[in-house]
Amino acid sequence: MLKIVVCVKAVPDPKEAHKIKIDPATKILTRSDVPFVLNLVDKNAMEAALQLKEQLDAHITILSMGPPPADNIVKECLALGADQGFLLSDRAFGGADAYATAYTLAKGIEKIGPYDVVLCGMASSDGSTEWVGPEMATFLKIPVVTRVNEIVEYDGEWWKVKAGLENGYRLVRVKLPAVFTVTRDLNTPRSLTFSGIIKARKKEITQWGIDELAVPEESAGQKGSPTIISNLATIDSKRTVEIITGTREEKAEQLVQKLADTGLI
Amino acid sequence: MIDFTFTEEQEMFRKAAREFAETKVADKVPEMEETEKASDEVVKALGEAEMMALTIPEEYGGLGLGYTARLIALEEISKVSVATGMMLQIFALGIEPIIQFGSEEQKKKYLPALAKGELLASVAVTEATGGSDPTGIRTSYRKEGNDYILNGRKCFITNSHIADTITVLAKDEENPKAFNAFIVEKGMEGFKPTREEHKLGMRGCNTGELAFENCRIPSENLLGVEGKGMRVALAAIGDVGRGGMVGCALGLHAACLEASVKFANERILYGKPISNLQTIQNKLADMKIDLEAGRLLGYRATSMQDKGMRSSNEFAVAKYFTTEAAQKAAKMAVDIHGGYGCMEEYAVSRYLRDSFVLGPSAGTSDIMKVIIARWVLS
Amino acid sequence: MKKQPGSVWVIAEQIDCRILDVSLQLIAHARKLAIELETSVEAVLLGDKMNEQTRQLFAAGADRVYLGNAPDLAHYQPEIYTEIIVKLAKERQPEIVLIGSTSMGRELAPLVAARLGTGLTAHCIDLVLDENKILESIIPAYGGLLSIICPEKRPQMATIAAGVFPKPEMDENRTGEIIALEVPDDIPRRIQTLEIIREKPQGVSFESAPIVVAGGAGAGDLEGWRKIADLAETLNAALGATRPAVDEGWAELETMVGQSGKIVSPELYIGVGLSGELQHMVGIVGAKVMVAINNDAKSPVFEQVDYGVVDDCREFVPVLINKIKEYQEKLVTC
Repeated sequence: MLKIVVCVKAVPDPKEAHKIKIDPATKILTRSDVPFVLNLVDKNAMEAALQLKEQLDAHITILSMGPPPADNIVKECLALGADQGFLLSDRAFGGADAYATAYTLAKGIEKIGPYDVVLCGMASSDGSTEWVGPEMATFLKIPVVTRVNEIVEYDGEWWKVKAGLENGYRLVRVKLPAVFTVTRDLNTPRSLTFSGIIKARKKEITQWGIDELAVPEESAGQKGSPTIISNLATIDSKRTVEIITGTREEKAEQLVQKLADTGLI
Repeated sequence: MIDFTFTEEQEMFRKAAREFAETKVADKVPEMEETEKASDEVVKALGEAEMMALTIPEEYGGLGLGYTARLIALEEISKVSVATGMMLQIFALGIEPIIQFGSEEQKKKYLPALAKGELLASVAVTEATGGSDPTGIRTSYRKEGNDYILNGRKCFITNSHIADTITVLAKDEENPKAFNAFIVEKGMEGFKPTREEHKLGMRGCNTGELAFENCRIPSENLLGVEGKGMRVALAAIGDVGRGGMVGCALGLHAACLEASVKFANERILYGKPISNLQTIQNKLADMKIDLEAGRLLGYRATSMQDKGMRSSNEFAVAKYFTTEAAQKAAKMAVDIHGGYGCMEEYAVSRYLRDSFVLGPSAGTSDIMKVIIARWVLS
Repeated sequence: MKKQPGSVWVIAEQIDCRILDVSLQLIAHARKLAIELETSVEAVLLGDKMNEQTRQLFAAGADRVYLGNAPDLAHYQPEIYTEIIVKLAKERQPEIVLIGSTSMGRELAPLVAARLGTGLTAHCIDLVLDENKILESIIPAYGGLLSIICPEKRPQMATIAAGVFPKPEMDENRTGEIIALEVPDDIPRRIQTLEIIREKPQGVSFESAPIVVAGGAGAGDLEGWRKIADLAETLNAALGATRPAVDEGWAELETMVGQSGKIVSPELYIGVGLSGELQHMVGIVGAKVMVAINNDAKSPVFEQVDYGVVDDCREFVPVLINKIKEYQEKLVTC
């Protein structure tokens, strides 16, 4: 049986994330009630796992690190068809950078047990580093392929995948177990179904803290993070805007005139 | 202690319904408006997305989720297309008599296929003489051997031309106090849908007339006890029917508010978005207040219904309030849009038309007040 | 005695034996950092038959080049590349390691950083030294700028996209030391690159385009997106996208403009149906004229441009295209 671990992250809803701002005076993030949702490209990782499960004899485990309310995105993945879920949640995990996150997730994967494939989204919409997949693979001492946009062969110990490059791709042969970070091009994620949500009632989410994971305190969260935020600055990219008004036709005409003045059109 | 919050699972239901509406229904709305017909693709998609299975018990292939989940789904679907919400609402109303009063054979025969969306259901009580006082109906039956012979006409029937099974209420030819509810199947001899209506709003759901001319119905299609059909028909209308309209109204109301907020932020007047004007803010606040109040009324009633409590009076209140409020909200939304609100390109013009269809369905506001007053005075 | 800081490294990247511009830009910036740190600039270059190309690295500002020259290194091979760089870094103890935010860099950088047990900042829009001579990576977030540092672990690592730093002035007379690297023979080889396909990019390329048209979520759907693409074509402009537009599947990831995408410096920028998120706006460096078309008058984008049109871009753009065409025809007939 193919054992798949899908790593997912709860991120502020990208549709509302612009509401989170830095207060220019206090340099503290303004409080906001932006809801947390499943990171968009993680849905593609989830979909890849589900499609593999439809083709092969596979078992899907969801792993996430985050505060306790993040269990709703784990639940969502269970409702989509995953078999079991784990949430790594502890105050000590807070403030982790990509390095500490990858380390903690790797510890989680090791504790879950034997695995063949680890899937995750290429990047999270809030962090956007793309580091967690490769760093996790490093800690697990297994290969990684980033930006996978097609799984070409998936039977046996060696898989063949296409990974995105600037204006192209590379075709890569990789030996399992391995980590794959996936792009939005890989597939079209399915939607939640009511019956899936009902089936998820019986699926368990196990929560592990720092003690269960046996991660040393100095390796977790902010303490385990090589990087820190040293400053928050507001920026002044302001230009004085001239709003062009009038009917649609008039606006277009005036704008063409402005563009013509640049001599570029 | 009263819990006014949705469970994590209910939030997920909402998310699933919203995704469904946005990805499978929204695209089809212009076509439905244009053709004034229900979209086959939407009907199919509703089935595939298990929207028909919500209230059907698990042992008959449904999800057995009850009425709060149904209200959530109806609200989200109606936010995108209240006509589709209406189709689904009448579907549930049509099958409820089978769920509540059907024999084991009837349940096994119809419910699994209905749950899968292979069969579409409806209900037919209303006639030209009206629907609010069903004792006045003229459609009649007489017994002939093991069969019943049905004669009459039903009008303003949602899903009239597309339903596969219709729960039809009729009166005994001989005894004006005896009523029967029958499951009439598409294609039964002597039954045919006739006129298709052109409605002011909710154009994307099919409404029309049914004609029965010596339509022969086998006795196994009788719902409930012989002669007690009024109970069968009314039990569902009081809660499932009114509750469904609450879902349609809440969805439409939410759509009105969302469109208004968007437009008010976009429309520039005196160099600023009109959302800066107090008169516009006042309208937006009114819409929000009514929406919140309507939700409380609606979900309170469904939570009672889910607990098996009598809830038809609470639904009467909720139905009255939410449909009236949605109509007000639609007018305000059009007002906020100014001239644009009168243009068909702007969804609010559709919302206004749709809002007028909310009232008459499952009992007008005046009828709701009669019921509520009766409740108060009892 | 004050410890002599290690050097500033740039992991140079080549595709088909051509050194990428971003590597040269990074070397020039590394030079500035190295002067402040009183240390040297060193480049690591892996490829096959790359001797000749080292001159460019010196011309851009490198003092020393670690050169791995072997058929096995001709293309990026994650295991071998990582192993060579990690081994070398452990020996030489660089203070700073910079890598281009290319598809190779974005995979290689975290592989190296994790092996070295150090921090790595992503897609920075500037790199400066603070008062303690610690590298500050500047990253846009939450409508402001974050400074991220790696105070203790070394090297300090960062990835930077092409275009963040200007094209360096090449000093062809500069030379330096070349140190040859051995290809280790104990690599596990669990990843094998079978094929690399690079297609010629479609449309106008960002690097040379005087006009960039960028579209965002306001396009609404693919049909709306095509209207924005038409505008770009009419203006002979490069077509860029915001992350939401890429997420919607309307635009390729490679056309994303912004912090984690392309950095562009057009003369004229036209943002259509986008809200002016900082992560996108930092991708436009030094545009002379900026224009925004957005239906929300309160959108922050209008604080960052010279001309604004408040309108639904799906309706407005076709009208604008017609007007531009009329104008262009008039020019021809004059």
